[in-house]
Amino acid sequence: MTKKPSEKSSGASKDPTRRRKVASGAGVPSAVAAKARPTTSDMVSVSLVVNNVHHSLALDPRTTLLDLLREHLDLTGTKKGCDQGQCGACTVLVDGRRINSCLTFAAMYDGAQITTIEGLARNGALHPLQQAFIDHDAFQCGYCTPGQICSAVGLLAEGRAKTADEIRELMSGNICRCGAYTNIVAAIQQAMGQS
Amino acid sequence: MAIYLRPASLKAALSTLAQASGKGRSAHPLTVLAGGTDIYPTRAGKQAWLESFPRDFLDITQIPQLRGIRRDGRAILIGAATTWTDIVAARLPPAFDALKQAALQIGGLQIQNRGTLGGNIVNASPAADGVPPLLALDAEVDIASVRGERSVPLASFIRGNRQTGLARDELVVAIRLPGHRASSRSLFLKLGARSHLVISIVSVAMLLDQGADGTIADIRITVGAASAVPTRLAALEAELRGERLDASLIERVTPGLFSVLTPLDDVRASSHYRRAAARILVRRALANFMEPQVEEVAA
Ligand SMILES: Cc1cc2nc3c(=O)[nH]c(=O)nc-3n(C[C@H](O)[C@H](O)[C@H](O)COP(=O)(O)OP(=O)(O)OC[C@H]3O[C@@H](n4cnc5c(N)ncnc54)[C@H](O)[C@@H]3O)c2cc1C
Ligand code: FES
Ligand code: FES
Repeated sequence: MTKKPSEKSSGASKDPTRRRKVASGAGVPSAVAAKARPTTSDMVSVSLVVNNVHHSLALDPRTTLLDLLREHLDLTGTKKGCDQGQCGACTVLVDGRRINSCLTFAAMYDGAQITTIEGLARNGALHPLQQAFIDHDAFQCGYCTPGQICSAVGLLAEGRAKTADEIRELMSGNICRCGAYTNIVAAIQQAMGQS
Repeated sequence: MAIYLRPASLKAALSTLAQASGKGRSAHPLTVLAGGTDIYPTRAGKQAWLESFPRDFLDITQIPQLRGIRRDGRAILIGAATTWTDIVAARLPPAFDALKQAALQIGGLQIQNRGTLGGNIVNASPAADGVPPLLALDAEVDIASVRGERSVPLASFIRGNRQTGLARDELVVAIRLPGHRASSRSLFLKLGARSHLVISIVSVAMLLDQGADGTIADIRITVGAASAVPTRLAALEAELRGERLDASLIERVTPGLFSVLTPLDDVRASSHYRRAAARILVRRALANFMEPQVEEVAA
């Protein structure tokens, strides 16, 4: 069923006519109502699962997935480096695939499963990649590390990298300002050997 | 006051877009959002300079018709919202190797998992790495709006630096690649300041079809990032067509044949450097199709 978003929004919005022209009427797809539905004038409702915990939220549609995690869910393990896709510090897994959470709106992930660095350990035991990063001292300041580890989890799932060179190539979306690359590759190789 | 719409069908998306881009008071532009990897990075820069950034989005990533690769007769259709990762994983003929090689060099994996082919061509950056391989494949762009459907050659769709022939109520639905001979091979070479996660200084896509007698039956050569729009080197193609594919051809790749390029001077490279680099990449690409020992000659 199509619910006209403007019915709810017109009272609250500062310029209701402008919005209604776009958001109401026959052109509004029913999927908009069913998924990521506009609720109040500024908000869309989004429900997603983060680290196996279900969340339903009303958000400004321009909230990035990164800001949702850090500012709304207090999951500050995921880092903001460049905020424009260049560094990989914000890497998380969406339905098992690695993406930059800074480059995308949270509303685009209605219904998705998100895994962040906080969701990798199981019953108090570190994920093999977390343990490997410690074993190999694969960081210095640690700022890039959550992104490196989430990215490496995606890399292992993809199964394309076999050699050290392939690991380097396929980890190219993650920059380490401290230059811990050598140990990062060694840590990933260790985890690869175990999986 | 921001609008975010996520239609689940192409029909719904097109009527929403038609309404939003109509004339008169109801006009209220919606920005089409696919992977967001081109739209989003511009935000930080604009905000820093207190410029406005689009607020209202039409997310096309939930429209099944826009995603995936299928055959249409002899042609291959790639849905506009197909990601680079999807393209790398797809089974495609060797003529598409250049496109796959470009896909593997677009940003890092995180970008490839989100960025789409449609976004790359509509964004129309001179350095868009998807464009040279598509031009070499004679790609056409399938476009739809409530007014109807049309198909235009990619070469005329991209009109200039970040300019296309797309009207505000139109969506790119698919990229259409006409049939290619099974014997056609292709290659994409990109020069950046380092090997990955860089904007191309120059890129080259080459598609080559060699006859049974060893001569070049067909060759297409496109250079990216060295003009406002990636450019086919028609004069060089004519020079090489019908010739035997051997080391002597490398010497025929002379600077004069690159005069159609109009490279920029910018932070990444000088115009002179870009022109010289384009020639080197073309020579390398040619050598790549020959016996292994020839590669050294080209460098
Ligand atoms: C860190 C980083 C590295 C990058 N590296 C490269 C690189 O090496 N090479 C390269 O070529 N690019 C690169 N890019 C740019 C970008 O990732 C690609 O161009 C990508 O393919 C864009 O696709 P998208 O789906 O994310 O586009 P979006 O950002 O969603 O959209 C781009 C433009 O196209 C429009 N649009 C999208 N789809 C449609 C459609 N179906 N119909 C009509 N309009 C549409 C949008 O409105 C927008 O104007 C990089 C980006 C980042 C952030
Ligand atoms: S913060 Fe997302 S890539 Fe840098
Ligand atoms: S450990 Fe400091 S940036 Fe990587």
